Amino acid sequence: MTTLPRRSLLLAGATLPLLRRPARAQSTPDTLRFGLSAWPPNLQPWASTGASAGTVKLLIHRSLVSYDSQGELRGELAESWSHEDDGAWVFRLRRNAVFHNGEPVTADDIKWTLEQIAGERSTAYMRAQFQRVERIETPDAHTLRLVTKEPVATLPHWFGGYNMAMVWRKSAPNEPVGAGPYRLTGQERGSSLELTAFDRFYKPGLPRLKRIRFVVYADENLRAAALQSGDVDMIEYVPWQSMAAVESDPALKLDAVDGPFMDVLFNGTRGPFADARVRRAVAHAIRREDIVKTAFFGRGSPLEGVPIPRGTPWYDEQLAHGWNYDPARAKALLAEAGHPDGFQTTLLATAQFGMHKDTAEVVQQHLAAIGIQCELRLPDWSTRVSLGTRGQYEIAIHGTTAENNDPDGLSSVLDTTLSPSHGRSFGVQAPRTAALLAQGRAEFDPQKRVATYKDMQRAALEEVPMVGLAWRSQGYGMKRNVQGFANLPGALTTLSGTQLETAAFA
Amino acid sequence: MKRLIVPGTLVGLILLAALAAPLLPLTDPIRQDIMHRLAGPLPGSPLGRDEFGRDVLSRLIWGARTSLGVAFASALIAGIFGTLLGLIGGWFRGLGELLAVRSMDVILCFPPVLLALLVVTLMGPGAGTLILVLSVLYLPGFVRVTYAEVLSARSHDYVEAVRALGAPAPRILLRTVLPNVAGPVLVQLSLAVASAVVLESGLSFLGLGVVPPAPSWGLMIRGARATMDQAPMLLFWPCAVLTLTILAMNLLCDALRDAVDPRTSGPRPRLRAVDRLLPGLLPRRDATPESVLDVQGLTVEIDTPRGPIRPVQEVSFNVRAGETVAIVGESGSGKSVSTTALMGLLPPVARVVNGEAWFGETELLRLPEPEMRKLRGGRMAMVFQDPMSSLNPVYRTGAQVAEAIQAHQRVSAEAAWKQAEGLFRRVGIADPERRMRAYPHEMSGGMRQRVMIAMALANRPHLLICDEPTTALDVTVQAQILDLLAELQRETGTAIVFITHSLGVVAEIAQRVVVMYAGQVVEQGSVAEVFHDPLHPYTRALLAAVPEGETQPSGIPGVVPPPHAFPEGCRFAPRCAHAIPACSAAPLALDMAAPGRAVRCIRWTELAHPKEEVPA
Amino acid sequence: MAWILRRIGVSLILAWLVASIVFMTLHLVPGDPAELLLSTGGIMPDPGAVAELRDRLGLNDPLLVQYGGFLRGLTRGDLGNSLIDDYPVLAEVALRLPRTLELIFAGAILAIVVALPAGTYAALHRGGAFDRVASGLAALLLAVPVFVVGTLLILMLAQWLRVMPAGGYVPFADNPGRHLALLALPALTIAKGLAAVLFRMTRASVLDALSRDHVRTARAKGLTPRGVLVRHVVRNALIPVLTVLGLHMGTLLGGTVLVEYVFNWPGLSTPLLRAVEARDYPMVVGIVLTISGLFLLINLIMDLLYAALDPRIRAA
Repeated sequence: MTTLPRRSLLLAGATLPLLRRPARAQSTPDTLRFGLSAWPPNLQPWASTGASAGTVKLLIHRSLVSYDSQGELRGELAESWSHEDDGAWVFRLRRNAVFHNGEPVTADDIKWTLEQIAGERSTAYMRAQFQRVERIETPDAHTLRLVTKEPVATLPHWFGGYNMAMVWRKSAPNEPVGAGPYRLTGQERGSSLELTAFDRFYKPGLPRLKRIRFVVYADENLRAAALQSGDVDMIEYVPWQSMAAVESDPALKLDAVDGPFMDVLFNGTRGPFADARVRRAVAHAIRREDIVKTAFFGRGSPLEGVPIPRGTPWYDEQLAHGWNYDPARAKALLAEAGHPDGFQTTLLATAQFGMHKDTAEVVQQHLAAIGIQCELRLPDWSTRVSLGTRGQYEIAIHGTTAENNDPDGLSSVLDTTLSPSHGRSFGVQAPRTAALLAQGRAEFDPQKRVATYKDMQRAALEEVPMVGLAWRSQGYGMKRNVQGFANLPGALTTLSGTQLETAAFA
Repeated sequence: MKRLIVPGTLVGLILLAALAAPLLPLTDPIRQDIMHRLAGPLPGSPLGRDEFGRDVLSRLIWGARTSLGVAFASALIAGIFGTLLGLIGGWFRGLGELLAVRSMDVILCFPPVLLALLVVTLMGPGAGTLILVLSVLYLPGFVRVTYAEVLSARSHDYVEAVRALGAPAPRILLRTVLPNVAGPVLVQLSLAVASAVVLESGLSFLGLGVVPPAPSWGLMIRGARATMDQAPMLLFWPCAVLTLTILAMNLLCDALRDAVDPRTSGPRPRLRAVDRLLPGLLPRRDATPESVLDVQGLTVEIDTPRGPIRPVQEVSFNVRAGETVAIVGESGSGKSVSTTALMGLLPPVARVVNGEAWFGETELLRLPEPEMRKLRGGRMAMVFQDPMSSLNPVYRTGAQVAEAIQAHQRVSAEAAWKQAEGLFRRVGIADPERRMRAYPHEMSGGMRQRVMIAMALANRPHLLICDEPTTALDVTVQAQILDLLAELQRETGTAIVFITHSLGVVAEIAQRVVVMYAGQVVEQGSVAEVFHDPLHPYTRALLAAVPEGETQPSGIPGVVPPPHAFPEGCRFAPRCAHAIPACSAAPLALDMAAPGRAVRCIRWTELAHPKEEVPA
Repeated sequence: MAWILRRIGVSLILAWLVASIVFMTLHLVPGDPAELLLSTGGIMPDPGAVAELRDRLGLNDPLLVQYGGFLRGLTRGDLGNSLIDDYPVLAEVALRLPRTLELIFAGAILAIVVALPAGTYAALHRGGAFDRVASGLAALLLAVPVFVVGTLLILMLAQWLRVMPAGGYVPFADNPGRHLALLALPALTIAKGLAAVLFRMTRASVLDALSRDHVRTARAKGLTPRGVLVRHVVRNALIPVLTVLGLHMGTLLGGTVLVEYVFNWPGLSTPLLRAVEARDYPMVVGIVLTISGLFLLINLIMDLLYAALDPRIRAA
C-alpha cells in the first residue's frame, strides 16, 4: 500500500543530490558507526546494567570464555578448561594476553576478580554463583582451579556473560583495566562512545576495525531511520516493524534470531492462581500467534511450552506444545478448579515498553474469552519491577532471555524457590521443576542431562511456574558490506557484541 | 456572535458523537481481530482496522469520549476549585491571598510534563490520575483570572456599596462578584478544555495517560507510530481528528473571548473603497473670505451589525481667524465625531458620506491622505481630551513634541529638541529641560495637557481643534489651561474650535457657540445671544439645569438616544417639555432666526421667552 | 531596587519549595533505584547485590537524613551525584543545559523572524486575505501536537526524501554543518507552536495598540504611516509580546521533552525522563531545580526588561 508513494518520493529525493549530500555523515572504511538502543547506565565490569552496556563491555573487557558464532563455548583468556576428577574446574590461561596497560593477564588477576565478584560488599550480577565457589587456587601464573561447594556441570558458562570482565588486580576502584580488543577513547555523555582498537590484543589480526563509534538512539523508529538514511552502519535491536524494510533495502541486511521470549508470571501466594489448574487454564487460553503478529509484527514464533530453543538436544516437539491453544480445555480446567464462570483479576505489565503492553492487551482479550476478566495495570517499568519483586500483583507479563542456551540458563525463570524477583512468578509452588533443575545442574553426563531436562519440562507443564507466550526475534541491521559479524543463536544473542572484533567493511 | 456558529457547531458535533457513542451502530472498540490486523477499509469498518484488528472508526468515536471526558472533567474541577481559591484570595487578601494565590506560583514553577510524570509515576497511569494532573495544571490559570477580577470588582462602587450595607462576604461574592467573573472564567474554561485535549494526547502518547485497551486519540497515535511505514492512514486519522478538535475548540475560545471582552468585539471593518471624489469635481463654492474653516452639511456614517448609522448629520458651522467657536452638547451628540472627521482621523468603520469642509482653499473631506497628513499637525492641529492616554507612555514628553516638529519641518533632531524646549516654555512649563526628559506618567494632568498643547502649537497652526481638553482636569487646572489657550490665541491669532459639554467653559473662552444634539446642530449664534436668549428648548434646558456646567445636565429627563434610534422628526421631542405631535412628524430644517443665528425647532417663535437669567 | 531583592528572595523560596516537594514525592514513588539499575533489560538481579548497592548509595538512611544531606549539599552548590553512574549532577546539567538552550533559542529566533512581521502585517490588514490565511495557519499550527509534527517531519524528510538526518547530535566544534543540519528539524518543531502563539499575540497586541489614543495623537501630528507604525504601534505592541515570549521560553525549558525524545536531541529533558524512570533521585531533583530556577530567573529578567521597555512599570 505504501510502496508506490514511497518510490516516487525516493525518486524525487534522487533528483536533489545537492540537498542530500550534506545531510549524510561520511562513512569511513576503518570506523564502524553502531546505533545503540540505550545509553549504558555505566560500564562497571561486574554489575549488570543491560545489554547495550553489555555490548560495549564485551569489547573493552574479556572473560575466560566466550561463544562462537555457532553458540559453542570458545576460549578467550582461558585456552582450555576441564573438569578434574576431584570435582575442581581447571582453566589454563593463554600466555600472550595483556591488559590495556601492558601488564600480562595472570591467574592472580582472575582470582582477584572472582574474589571481588563473590565478596561481601559485591554488587556483581554473578555474585550468588561465585559465592558457591569454595576455593580458588592458582598453582601457577597461568592455571586456575575452582572448587565448588557442590558439583556444577555448567560452570564454564558462568564465564560467558558480559558481566564477567576480568580486570587487572591493581586497578583503581573506578578505573577497571581490561584486556578486550578495544579501549574506550572518547565519549559524548548520553549520546555517543568511541572505542579504538587495542594494538596488543591477544588474537592476531584482530580487531579488524580501527574504531567503533556507538551512537545512542533510544527511540526505535529513529534508530531504524538512522540505519536507513545511512547515519550509522549498523544497529542493534532492529524494531520488528522495520525488519521487513531493512530486509528489502538493497543496501542493508538483517541478521535476526529468535532468542528472548515473553511469558506470563503468577502470584501463587493468594487467589485463584495459587491453583496450578488455573495457571494451566491460562496457558491453554492464549493464542500465541496473535501475540507474534501484534507485538512482534510476525517476527518471532509461538511458545507453547517451556522456553527450550528448537534444535537443541533438550527440545522435544511434543513437550514444546504442551500448552497448546485450547480454550475448551482451558474452560474445563477453570471449572475443575471451581471457577466455572471465571473471575475478576488484574494483569500487570508496563506501558514503558510497547511489547509488554501489546502482549498484555492480547492476553487480556484471550483470558476474557474463557471468563477471566483482567483489568490492565500499566505503570512505568520501575514501578512494575518493584511490584513484581514484592508480589503485589495477580498475573504479570514479562519478557526476558535465558542466561545461555543450556536449560540450566532457565533456572532464573523457572525456579520459583529462588529469591523473589520481578522476572519470576511470586510464591508459586513448583517443587518438582526446581528439583529437576538442580539435578540437571549437578549432572555431567550429557545423555542423562537430556533425560533430566525432559522430565523437568514435563514437571513444569504440570506445575506451571510460568507460561511461555512467544519467542521474539532479536535482530541486528547493518549495511550489506559489513562482514564478519554473526548474531549468536538463541539466548546468546545479547552476547553478540564479541563478534564485532571480527567485523569489517567488505 | 456570528463567529461562534461554525466552531460552536463543530465542537457540538464532536461532543454529540462522543456522547452518542454507545447508541451508534459501532463495533466494539476493544474487540480484537488479529486476522484483519492493519487492514484497509472493510465492510463495517470504513476507516480500516488497527494493529490489533480493532475498528478504527469505532475507536475514534469512543476515543473522543475518553479524551473529551478527561478534558472536561479536569477543566471543570480546576475551574471550580480555582475560582473558589481566587475568590478567597481576592476577597480576604492577607493570609488567604498568600495561601490561595501565591501558592500557585509553586505549581507554575514545574514544567507541566514533569509534574505529570511525577504524579503519574506516583499514582500509576489511568484516567483518574490524568484528570488529577490536568486539573492541578490548570488550577493557577483559574485562580489568577478570578483573583484579578475580584480585585477589580472590589473597587467598583456597587460592590463597595453592598459591602458598606454590611452584607456578609459569601453573599456578596456569590451575588455580586461571581456574575462578573463568569465571563473570563468561561473563557478560561474553554481554553483549559482545549489545552487538556492536547496534553491528554501527549501524555497518552508517552504511555503516561489512558490505560489500554480503552481507546484514546493519544494512544492511537502512539500505536500507529510503530506501524506508520506499513499503514500511514492509521496515524493520519487520530492526528486529523485530534487536530480538528483542537482547532475547533481554539476557534471557539477566540470567539468566546471576543464576545466576553468588549474591547475586541464590534464590527469587522469593511474595506470598501470609499467614494473619494476629487476636490476639483466639486462645485467651487464662494468661501467666506474671513473663514478659516467652513463646514457645510457634514454627514458621517458608520456600518454596524444593525445597519448603517449616522452619528453626525448635516452639520454646518464656520470659524473665522482669531475666533473661538465652541461646540457644546451632551455625550453622544456627535461633537467629537464631527471634529475627528475634519481631521481625517475617523476610524476605518466610519466614513464621510456627505458635506464639504473648506480649510482656506482646501476641501478637507475628500483630500487624499498624503495631503491631509501634511495639514495635520501642521496648519491644523488638535488637542485631545485625555492627555494621559493621548501621550505615548513609552517615550519622553520632549521627544514626542520634537517628533511633531520633525514631521513637518526639515530640521535636525537637535534643533527640534531646542524648538520643543521653547514650546514647553511657551505653554508655561517651568524647568522645561528637566520636564522634557520626563515620561507622561511622571507628570500631573495639567502638565500633560500643556505638553499636548505644545505639541499642537509646534508648527504654528491656523486652526486648533480642542476636543474637551479640560474635562479630565480639576477645576483650578482647567482655568489655567483655558487662560493659556486664550493667551496663545491672542498672540498667534489661531482660530480655535473648542468642544465641550460645559457651558461655563463656553462662556469663558468662546465668541460663538454651536449647540449639538443627537448628531445635529440645534442652535448656533454668538455666545452672548445664545446665553441671553436661547431659542431651542434644549439649549434652554442646558442653561437652566447646569448652573456651573460641571456635571451632566441632570435637569433634563432621559438620555440622548443612540444613533440607531434617532427619532424621525425633532430628535429632542421625546425629552422636550414643549413637544407637540407635529414635532415628530417630519425631519426639521435649521431655521435662520436672525443673521448669524440658527435654530432647529418648529415652535421657537412661540416659545421664545427672553426673560430668563443668564448664568455668568 | 527593593522590589528586585524581594523578587529574588521569593524566587529562592519557590525554588527551595519545588526542590523539597520533588525530593519528598520522589521517595514516595514506588521503585528502588538499586534494584532497577541491576534489573536493566529485564535481568533478574541477586537480592544480595541489590541490598549491597542500596546500602552503598545511602538509600537505607532515614528520609530526613537523606534530605538533610541534600540541603547541606545545596548550600555548597553541590547537587549530588547520579545514583546510576556516580556522575556529578551539576556536570550533567552543565553538559546538557546548553544544548536545550540552543534548541530553544534556535526555535525562538525562527519563530520571531516569522511571527512578528506576519502578526504586524495581519493586524494592519485585518480581515484581508493574508490575515485570514495566516490566522488560519496559526490556529492549525497551534492545534497540531508537537509529537505529530516531529514524527511526520522525520517520516517525510529523513525516511522518504532522505534530505535531512533523522536525528541525533554532533558537537558544533566537530562538524558545524552537520550540527546545524541536526538542529534544523527539532528547532523547526519548537518554532511551530511558538510562532503560532507569537503571531496571535503580535496581531492582537498591534490591533490593541492601533486603537490607543496616543496613536491618534501620532496621526494628528501628521506623522507618516510608517512613522506611526514603527514608533507608536509596534514599539508599544512589542512589550506584551516580549513578555509572552519570555514566559513561553521559560515553559519550553521543561517542555522540550517530546521534541528531544522524537529527534534524539541529548538535551536536559531526556536525562530527566530517564532519571525519573530509573529513580535516580539526585539527578531528578537537580534537573528540576535547574529548570525551575531558570524559569524563575527568566521571569525575573522579563520583569526587568518589561520595566526597561515600559517606563510606567519603573515607577511602580
